[in-house]
Amino acid sequence: MSPPALSRRRLIALGVAGLIASPARATEITAAAIDWAMLETALAMHIPVVAGAELLLYRKFVIEPALPPEIADLGLRGTINFEVLSRAAPGLILSSPWYTRLEPNLRRIAPVLSMRIHERGRDPYEAAEAAAFELGRRFGREAAAEGLVRETREQLSATASALAARPRSPLFVITIGDPRHFRVFGTDSMVGTVLKRLGLVNAWERQTSYSVQAPVDIVTLADNPDAAIVILAPVPDDARRVLPESEIWRNLPAVRAGRVMVIDPVNHFGGLPAARRLARLLGAALSEGAPGLG
Amino acid sequence: MVEARQHHRFLAAGGALVLLSAMLSLYAVLAGLGPRGLAVLTAPQPAMDGLRRIIVLHALLPRIAVALIAGAALGLAGALLQRVLRNPIADASTLGISAGAQLALVAATAFLPELGGLARETLALVGGLASVAIVLALGWRRGFEPTTLALAGLLIGLLCASAGAAIILFSGQYLTSMFLWGGGSLAQQSWEPAKTLALRLLIAAGLAALLQRPLAVLALGEAGARNLGLSVRGARFYTVLVAVALAGSVVSQVGMIGFVGLAAPNIARMLGARRAGALLVASPLIGSLLLSLTDGLVQATNAASGLGTPTGAVAALLGGPFLLFLLPRLPIYTMPQDDAPLTGAVARRPWRLVAGTAAVLLVILLCALAIGRDADGFELATGAAFSELLPWRWPRLVAAMAAGAMLAAAGALIQRMTGNPLASPEVLGISSAAGLGLSLTIVLVPGAAWWLQGLACAAGAALGLLILLAIARHFELTANRMLLGGIALAAFSGAILTVILARGGLESFAILAWLTGSTQQVTPELAVAGALTTAVLLLPLPLFARWLQILPLGDAASASLGIAIASAKTRLVIVASLLTGGATLFVGPVSFVGLMAPHLARMLGLRSAGAHLTGSVLVGALLLATADWLSRLMFFPYQMPVGLFASLIGGPYLIWTLVKNRSR
Repeated sequence: MSPPALSRRRLIALGVAGLIASPARATEITAAAIDWAMLETALAMHIPVVAGAELLLYRKFVIEPALPPEIADLGLRGTINFEVLSRAAPGLILSSPWYTRLEPNLRRIAPVLSMRIHERGRDPYEAAEAAAFELGRRFGREAAAEGLVRETREQLSATASALAARPRSPLFVITIGDPRHFRVFGTDSMVGTVLKRLGLVNAWERQTSYSVQAPVDIVTLADNPDAAIVILAPVPDDARRVLPESEIWRNLPAVRAGRVMVIDPVNHFGGLPAARRLARLLGAALSEGAPGLG
Repeated sequence: MVEARQHHRFLAAGGALVLLSAMLSLYAVLAGLGPRGLAVLTAPQPAMDGLRRIIVLHALLPRIAVALIAGAALGLAGALLQRVLRNPIADASTLGISAGAQLALVAATAFLPELGGLARETLALVGGLASVAIVLALGWRRGFEPTTLALAGLLIGLLCASAGAAIILFSGQYLTSMFLWGGGSLAQQSWEPAKTLALRLLIAAGLAALLQRPLAVLALGEAGARNLGLSVRGARFYTVLVAVALAGSVVSQVGMIGFVGLAAPNIARMLGARRAGALLVASPLIGSLLLSLTDGLVQATNAASGLGTPTGAVAALLGGPFLLFLLPRLPIYTMPQDDAPLTGAVARRPWRLVAGTAAVLLVILLCALAIGRDADGFELATGAAFSELLPWRWPRLVAAMAAGAMLAAAGALIQRMTGNPLASPEVLGISSAAGLGLSLTIVLVPGAAWWLQGLACAAGAALGLLILLAIARHFELTANRMLLGGIALAAFSGAILTVILARGGLESFAILAWLTGSTQQVTPELAVAGALTTAVLLLPLPLFARWLQILPLGDAASASLGIAIASAKTRLVIVASLLTGGATLFVGPVSFVGLMAPHLARMLGLRSAGAHLTGSVLVGALLLATADWLSRLMFFPYQMPVGLFASLIGGPYLIWTLVKNRSR
């Protein structure tokens, strides 16, 4: 049974979510997150987050760090529910420059920290580290920030040395849009920069635009005959059905050699936790193998 | 003599384009073959040539074929639809085929992913046919009378597009394929789509040949056709069916390629094809050339850049300016006037009706301010809770009403001025131009401040207005030309938007959130500014009442009553554009209200210009206020953008009214 409306609202307003998690920090400021990269970074640093956007999808596609049970869902990122946000009464709102249109209204509720992680001409990994440090400064959790940065670096270099002993082929890392199109991650994306830090070669050498990858014709996967293909889930059902029957797909060098791996979803516009998750999933797939398509 | 020389020039230009198209196709194939050239096919070396051979045979050649066939099919479908609907802006999208198909695909992908047995193509075809079946059912009782059919098609199309966009928005970035499909990609993996399309095109071409005579007779008008012993209803029904089957199969095989079906018959007419037979032969050829030329260019640039820009979006990009360029060459032909009588009652006391509408608006306003929802369910806010929530509720409500009022006024002006029931502020292309300004800013200046985004929006709208006025000033302001110009502008902006959205990056979500029309971002200051803008723009409208009363009678009648048509229409266009631009600035491109509110006001019985205009404004404000309120309640804490919601509640009501009126 849920408690009566008013008391519950007041509890959230008082930031009891943070209280329960760590009683020593009773006066700590709480956060609300519009941007997922900021949300996952804040959660990984155990900052009390009282509200976040699109949590239904977060549970499905970002997955970790897990959401605290009391967190309020703010609805779609483009159309934030301001009534819910104002009742959650966060001390600081974490956003990114994609949501500047909402900022005047966000500022009516609390100060806004807007950080850019995915930006043209900037290494998103370094930007993600900078975001973690900034969060640490704002919430008085410098130690947690350093811990997150250090642990992530350590995990990446551990995975890198574990993989160093094995023969490695260049990797196409893709998501599948439909049976005829995929999106590919370039060297300037978070995926690309994680590959580099793991000592892996990105098979996609052509231009992409910072984190984003244009829809690409599946034929271009034939460009690098030595490459393996890593597919980030989810794979659309029709692609699972149609691709294995396609003459072109079956004759791609990677497919003929059985070098296709499907790994669990990763937030490819994420922060350090997403980079860590990707490194772990990639490391496991490359050393222990992963299911192919179909 | 002059005509003959012009004819030669057209032939030469056409020949050059065919040659260019062939060379582009050849280039794509040669690039696919690689350094060993044709030897890859004739004397393949298994170790190195295998994949190249497969790519040429199973991807490049079928792509060339599909471009040719799909272009022809779209051209033919467009010609049939435009002929039978007697409407130069009719095509597969006007009848809701594309939108219905897309909705079926999006819904199946989002809700029934286990529906694996049914292929994407089958789903799209079923969706397209279902939506067109509703349109035909609505048009049945009135013998598929053109305006009803076109209007019903537009409504279904807008409804499907709204529902589809809502699903995409709620499912997040994982439905990238939907953006791709919306852009119409011609990339191929086998000959199956080419074969399927070719077969369907052949059958349809045979049927079109049989329909040629009935179509020629239909052009004489309904009474004339009946006198010649033609079953008007039957002829229209079968023509529409053939066109739908054609367009539906193209949509299901390669996605939405809108502009070819719209442009090809218009170009054919500009080149002089007037008779049904000539039009039915010329349109597929032109469509074929248009699409394969576009696809050749797309392939060449994609090969250079490594990108997969969808061809359908680029077709619209090329097609838009091309139609603008051809506009002065458009023969001054008049659409046969629709002789079906206007239905519905005329209110005896119209101003009492207007007051009633205002009262309903007031009630909705109070409900929207007081009734909300929180984590525990619905609640009626009173006292402290009310004053706590009020600062969040009133700005969006005021913005919604202001936008609704402005769009409805713009719609009423345009509909009375052009006499075209399909005309809406959206057709002017102003909203799309504003959206283009915004999107370019978001892409080029990542993290642009909100005021810069607003400024870009305004600049886009202003540029759109200037282009529209240039069109209007340069050519005589006939309704058809202006609508075509506006559609070209909208298609051009929309195409760039589709390309940007197809990239599926973070900026797509910023753009999509704006595109669907939302009131979330409205601050108290912005709301006040919106209300003031509305007041300033609506105040001079009574001055136009006399023009608006007379213009629907037609140009000749208006001129004889002493109206300087060109200057009157130019002023009306400016006011309508300002109204549209204003609404777009505050809440985004909410197009449906501008179409619907004037229709609803008319159905209430408000016919005289003054009452109709006032009624439209009130109905528009009422519609968007209700939509804003309900969108806040329905999926709490998730909120559907108000623009989407407005079409979901208004569309069914309008369709119901259409059906009701018909059964009288």
